[in-house]
Amino acid sequence: MKRILLPFFLSLSIILISAHPAISQKNKGPVEVIILHVNDMHAKIDNMAKLAYFADSLRKIHPYVYLFAAGDNFTGNPVVDMVDDKGYPMIDLMNQCGFTLSTMGNHEFDLGQEAFNRRQKQADFPFISCNIDASGAVLKQPKPFYILKAGIVKIPVLGIIQLGENGMPDSHPSRLTGVKFTDGIAKAGEYKYLKDKYGMLIALTHLGVEGDEPLAKAMPQFDLIIGGHSHTTITTPMVVNGVKIVQTGSGLKNVGMTTLTVDRKKITDIKYQLIPLASVKSTNASVQAAVDKYNDNQELNRTISRAESDFTGENALGGLMTDAVTNIHGVDISFQNTGGIRIGSIPKGDIKLKDVYRLDPFGNEVIVFKMNVAEIQSLICNAFNRNKDVDLIPSGVKYTILTDQNGLCTAVNLTDTKGNTLDPNKEYTVGVNSYIAASYKFDHRDAGASQYKTTAQTLIEYLIKVKNVAYDGVPRTGVKPEK
Amino acid sequence: MKVFVNRKEITIFTGARVIDAVRAYSAYSAKMLLKGAFTVFDRFGNMTEPDGRLTEGQILIIKKTK
Repeated sequence: MKRILLPFFLSLSIILISAHPAISQKNKGPVEVIILHVNDMHAKIDNMAKLAYFADSLRKIHPYVYLFAAGDNFTGNPVVDMVDDKGYPMIDLMNQCGFTLSTMGNHEFDLGQEAFNRRQKQADFPFISCNIDASGAVLKQPKPFYILKAGIVKIPVLGIIQLGENGMPDSHPSRLTGVKFTDGIAKAGEYKYLKDKYGMLIALTHLGVEGDEPLAKAMPQFDLIIGGHSHTTITTPMVVNGVKIVQTGSGLKNVGMTTLTVDRKKITDIKYQLIPLASVKSTNASVQAAVDKYNDNQELNRTISRAESDFTGENALGGLMTDAVTNIHGVDISFQNTGGIRIGSIPKGDIKLKDVYRLDPFGNEVIVFKMNVAEIQSLICNAFNRNKDVDLIPSGVKYTILTDQNGLCTAVNLTDTKGNTLDPNKEYTVGVNSYIAASYKFDHRDAGASQYKTTAQTLIEYLIKVKNVAYDGVPRTGVKPEK
Repeated sequence: MKVFVNRKEITIFTGARVIDAVRAYSAYSAKMLLKGAFTVFDRFGNMTEPDGRLTEGQILIIKKTK
């Protein structure tokens, strides 16, 4: 596929030049409008200079080239997420690439509303969403739609954000304070008039394909849905109820090129191609310099806390990780699997940001379950039996595993940190990482809920909050073989 | 929430990603997915990245990567 892309690009260029769209427009003939689009970039900046080069190359030969982002521009790369101005590198690079527009994604809220307002102010492009009401929130109210102007052609673009089962975007509720959300499909219905007025309508959504499909079924008024959220790589547009749906994966690996032919206030043709950015062999030099600068950022060498003693071994490091989860997420108990502890020690002295990412590089999120004592014991026992060894390092409790002659767990003595027996009738909140939540077999009536924050982010917040940490040397686990 | 992986119903935590559902389905499939040997498709036949968020009732199909 890669081999045919650049020839395609060159031949497309020839087609575009020969089409003379500006002249066509003067003669009131068909007008071509090119929308380049990405979604779920998640702060992955390495291909940004290729995207800029690709967009610039088209702009040189075509007057109507636009660049859209279908949400989740942030979160997923410490050189963007962990700088003092959280998220600013992404906005700077998007500005340099000449982004026209972004819809709001759930991860736009990760920065916090105040910080995101600053990012919005710095952006040379607007963020849109029709189903967000920020009138009672710190968040600056996004406009519901954007009118794309290509000469005399005007195309309305409606923004829509996904909502989870709780009626809110997939983000921690604390980040959404004061913001009201309404069902995107129902809300979109209020904007059907845009189709009547302009003769065309595009949706720039962050609903995921599973949300875009019912949107298209409900609103055939859309000519095109440019989507995000589900990280779906669409190579050939889906067509639902006559509406074309496109999406380009995630992490800035691809760019979508959707070419609209507009004739007499109608979109008469839509052509789409998914272009892997690996196939673009040149870069925009100034954007590449900016990417290099951000990647060389010394932020990861920043000291965030101090270790007053060595943290050596799984009990010490796992305990630090789980103490962070109980503290930051306010849960009663948390567990860290030993396989997820990726370094042997953090020595006494300064703890740097990069130490956290070396310790916990996986990007697992914190998942919280409501569990009773028997369920917690089943988690500990089943985890032990995976390798006949202690696997879960706790915070909030201590435990001793009793084993049979085969070395398998038969029972768990579980106490609080002071040695008191836990209340068998009480429901405890238990935080684990998403790997444990998905992979481990254990009894639990509650399906659990993501806190939409990684364990690494949690530990960073904790270390910054407490300023210094010390290992008390007290084992939190033990094994008692059957006599 | 409930999702389906290769027709098997999986109960998974709210906010789960594709990789989480695949891990709950089969450790081997998860390992192969992360290696690139397996690919996950949605019910429309589109490829879905391992870090894509799931929605209630979503259908995933795991296939060997061609």
